[in-house]
Amino acid sequence: MAKFLQQRGVKKLLKDRLAVWSMWVIGLYLVVAVVVLVGNVFLGGDWKRATEERVGPDNVPGLWSAVTTEDRLEHAKFYFDSVDKASRSSDPAGAYAALQWGADRLPDWSAEVIEREILEPARRLNEELSEVEELDDDPEALVKVDRLEALVRGRIGASHDQAGAASTSLGQRFRLLLGTDRQGRSILLRAIYSTKVAVQIGVISALISVLIGTILGAAAGYFGGVVDVCVVWLYSTFSSIPWIVLLMVLASAFRGSSVDGTLIPVYAAFCLSFWISPCRVVRGEVMKLKELEYVQAASAIGFGRARILFKHVIPNTAHLMFINFSLLFIGAIKAEVILSFLGLGVKTEPSWGVMINHAKSEVLNGFFWQIGTATAFMVVLVLAFNTLSDALQDAFDPKHV
Amino acid sequence: MSLLQVEGLEMHFPVRGGLLNRVVAHVHAVNGVSFEVQRGEILGVVGESGCGKSTLGKCLVRLNTPSGGAFRYDGVDYTHADHEELMDYRSRVQMVFQDPYSSLNPRLTIRDCLTEVILFHRPHEAEVRDVDEMVLELVQKVGLRADAVDKYPHEFSGGQRQRIGIARALACNPEFLIADEPVSALDVSIQAQVLNLLMDLKDEFGLTLIFISHDLKVIEHFCDRVLVMYLGNVVEELECETLHESAQHPYTRALLGANPINHPRERRELTVLEGDVPSPFDLPPGCAFAGRCPIAEPRCSESRPPLEEKRSGHRAACFLVE
Repeated sequence: MAKFLQQRGVKKLLKDRLAVWSMWVIGLYLVVAVVVLVGNVFLGGDWKRATEERVGPDNVPGLWSAVTTEDRLEHAKFYFDSVDKASRSSDPAGAYAALQWGADRLPDWSAEVIEREILEPARRLNEELSEVEELDDDPEALVKVDRLEALVRGRIGASHDQAGAASTSLGQRFRLLLGTDRQGRSILLRAIYSTKVAVQIGVISALISVLIGTILGAAAGYFGGVVDVCVVWLYSTFSSIPWIVLLMVLASAFRGSSVDGTLIPVYAAFCLSFWISPCRVVRGEVMKLKELEYVQAASAIGFGRARILFKHVIPNTAHLMFINFSLLFIGAIKAEVILSFLGLGVKTEPSWGVMINHAKSEVLNGFFWQIGTATAFMVVLVLAFNTLSDALQDAFDPKHV
Repeated sequence: MSLLQVEGLEMHFPVRGGLLNRVVAHVHAVNGVSFEVQRGEILGVVGESGCGKSTLGKCLVRLNTPSGGAFRYDGVDYTHADHEELMDYRSRVQMVFQDPYSSLNPRLTIRDCLTEVILFHRPHEAEVRDVDEMVLELVQKVGLRADAVDKYPHEFSGGQRQRIGIARALACNPEFLIADEPVSALDVSIQAQVLNLLMDLKDEFGLTLIFISHDLKVIEHFCDRVLVMYLGNVVEELECETLHESAQHPYTRALLGANPINHPRERRELTVLEGDVPSPFDLPPGCAFAGRCPIAEPRCSESRPPLEEKRSGHRAACFLVE
């Protein structure tokens, strides 16, 4: 280890302040991911449920600032309007069933009951509230806004009293640090949990892709002939399909199966489309290496082809494996976000893509903190990784002395 | 009986191209080379770049399978032997490579590199003796310090690496060494050290050597006999001791004339060769050298002169040499 730290490249890397910072950042992400993974899987803590729990009122902005009453009213009116519009459609029952805001939906009542229990009182409240000019000065108006919110969301759950009472505890303050989403779930908890999902997807799919790519590429480059023709045909075929289409096809191929919405279809899709670039690069490198004299010396000594391939050729492509791993790690995280945003990726767990997807309609109402948090978490990781890759390149490239 | 007999060895590499990847041409790297090597002697092979001397060496350690002709080592024909049959041959005949910078696996320490070979070729000996001890012995035999064993190849200079390359070849405990330009990538001062090392090892292990080089001076100093090659053919074979006096073939004379001389008043017979080596894709019908030969006659470009014994221990492929 001490010897490793003495190497010129390592020394140079440690001198680069940006590189050291990005290593700390990546390290932090990894620690968070490992803690969540270990806590969730091995210690039996159900942290996934914690991310689904309602911790406060809907769409509370972060840093303990409150939503203005006007915003709340506007938001409640938006929901009221959508129910109201459904009631006036030709098939109200069907329209009600189709109404869904995230995980919340209207109670499973008949159209008459909805009319009586929700719409009538809501209309009345709405009219009364539209007469009030200064909402914050009127204590009665505040109560009315609460009731309207409760009515139209079809949930008599979170009230401001409950959140206010609990917000004194440290845990609650932590959960509300970055605000809540449309279902009152803690954005911070979800973003942290998503780190685990992102790292898990990045590591596993990059590792498997690099492994498949290296083995196929090395075999193609080393044995040549029919093996080479087959591998080249395989990756040419796969690379002629745009990867996003391939991902969509594979993701939908798993629809309805028992693993639908878990990480497994995502892994499968990523590994099938990401092995191509390591394979291509390793094949070229191996074709070069096998003509080198130390490989010829190994065959002159009489070593078998498998031994030469695994002991003398593949270890010398390690630098390519590292580079490809770091590229694919980031690639997989970004691709997962895109896929989840399109609703084809993870569904059973929170992930940054899922958060951005959920935030789509919130942003229109000015609730930017969910999309902001998810994006910030992702940007910091990707930026740190790219910075580190550049620094690694600078430190270990023999041409830059 | 001679240790190695080579008869009409040919190595033609197919060149593929066109629509169905057919063989469109052949590179005639080695064209019917015959010679013998006696036990304990050093045979030099000299010629310019592309004359097929390295290919000849690679054929003899079966890195390439010859496309024609045959060679027998100690009476056994290994021309087309398969991997298992070659095992015994490989432990007896080893190769030292040209480029010390690419001939060592950068990921293996010297210890790993040598241990692997020893365990592979001398497992019975390794059971009796300590392998580490055998590695140390080898490293010291080639003139490196004992603390070199745990270093990686990039920590050594070119000359040291070439010593490691020699140690790797010796790890098989061979009796025959094919050295493919072992000193041409080294500084002149280091060349002498490595040549002296090879000479010492030859005496100590009783080795027989084929020494491939493009440098006639080195060959003259180092070898007993020399084969002069031109475009895949042997054009002359002669004793090194009387190289200057007995060289007859115009190509050999031109090579000798191209050597710088070390006294300002001495004058040399200078034949500057003009033109280029003919393409190895389609060989001329006559003598390959005819186009550049200063004394060529019309018959030289019509038929190929055979390699004939002109005197005892001296063969030449030229109509005009008596």
